Amino acid sequence: MKLQAFLDGELPAREAREILTWTQRDREASSLLAELRNTRQALAKSEPHLSLPESREFFWSKIEREIQRLEPHPVAAPPPSGFAALRRWFFPAAAVSALVIAGMIAYFQAPTAAVQTVADADAPTVETTLANSDATTYRDASEGTTLVLFSYAVDNSPVKNKKPTAIN
Amino acid sequence: MSTSFFSATRLACAALGLMLLAGATAHAADKDLKLEAQLVVGSNDPQTKGTPVSPQVEKKLKRLPLKWGSYYVVSSQQFSVAKDDSKQLLLGGSEMVVKNLGGERVELTLINRGKITQSLRKDQTLVTNVKDENSFVVLRQAD
Repeated sequence: MKLQAFLDGELPAREAREILTWTQRDREASSLLAELRNTRQALAKSEPHLSLPESREFFWSKIEREIQRLEPHPVAAPPPSGFAALRRWFFPAAAVSALVIAGMIAYFQAPTAAVQTVADADAPTVETTLANSDATTYRDASEGTTLVLFSYAVDNSPVKNKKPTAIN
Repeated sequence: MSTSFFSATRLACAALGLMLLAGATAHAADKDLKLEAQLVVGSNDPQTKGTPVSPQVEKKLKRLPLKWGSYYVVSSQQFSVAKDDSKQLLLGGSEMVVKNLGGERVELTLINRGKITQSLRKDQTLVTNVKDENSFVVLRQAD
């Protein structure tokens, strides 16, 4: 028993030295120690490698760890650069400004355009029946008055200073 | 937010409103035109024949390049013309036809002389001469 304990390294240092001295002196003890050592080595080599079955919790925790390993880790967004901030705010602001300017231009141009359109729509169309007759048109846009003078004879002209063409 | 703003109900209401507005506008444009045609005589002397034209018409006539200082209404006619309909008039010995073209546009045809096509809104007046040198027809919408 002492030899087995010595071989397993379980004896205190003093007893281990006594056993070692004893085995060096006693031939029988020495052969017994060698046999025990051989037996131990043989058992160590022939012992089958048994793998314990994984528990259910360990199995799922392993899957979870694998998933976590494969998932892309969120990378902290780099702080926006100055150009990015400029692009984020400048372009929308520029678009809104362009719309406002276009609206202002349209607003201030619209009355003029409307007046021109109305003026064109108000222009009378005059047709003379006789080949030798003539017509003179005068438009007073501020009063909305249109004067059309058909000529009969030059002497009968009701106009102050009659002109042969249209007055506008 | 955008989904609720452009919901089908709101779009339908907007379309209905536009249709009603368009219908009302079209109806207003195609209603009968109530017109007044006056035979006006111009003179540089006080005249007993006729009554002076209204200040509104006088102001308009005096801005025209005519050589008369005063204007008098010799005869006047008020009439309604439906769209695409015509009214025949005889003023100052001149025969004329007024046609409502719709959209407050009229066609005044002076027989044997010519034809004038002109928009005639409430604020517009059409003046043309007839046989006598100082005789004019003033056509405008009746008040």
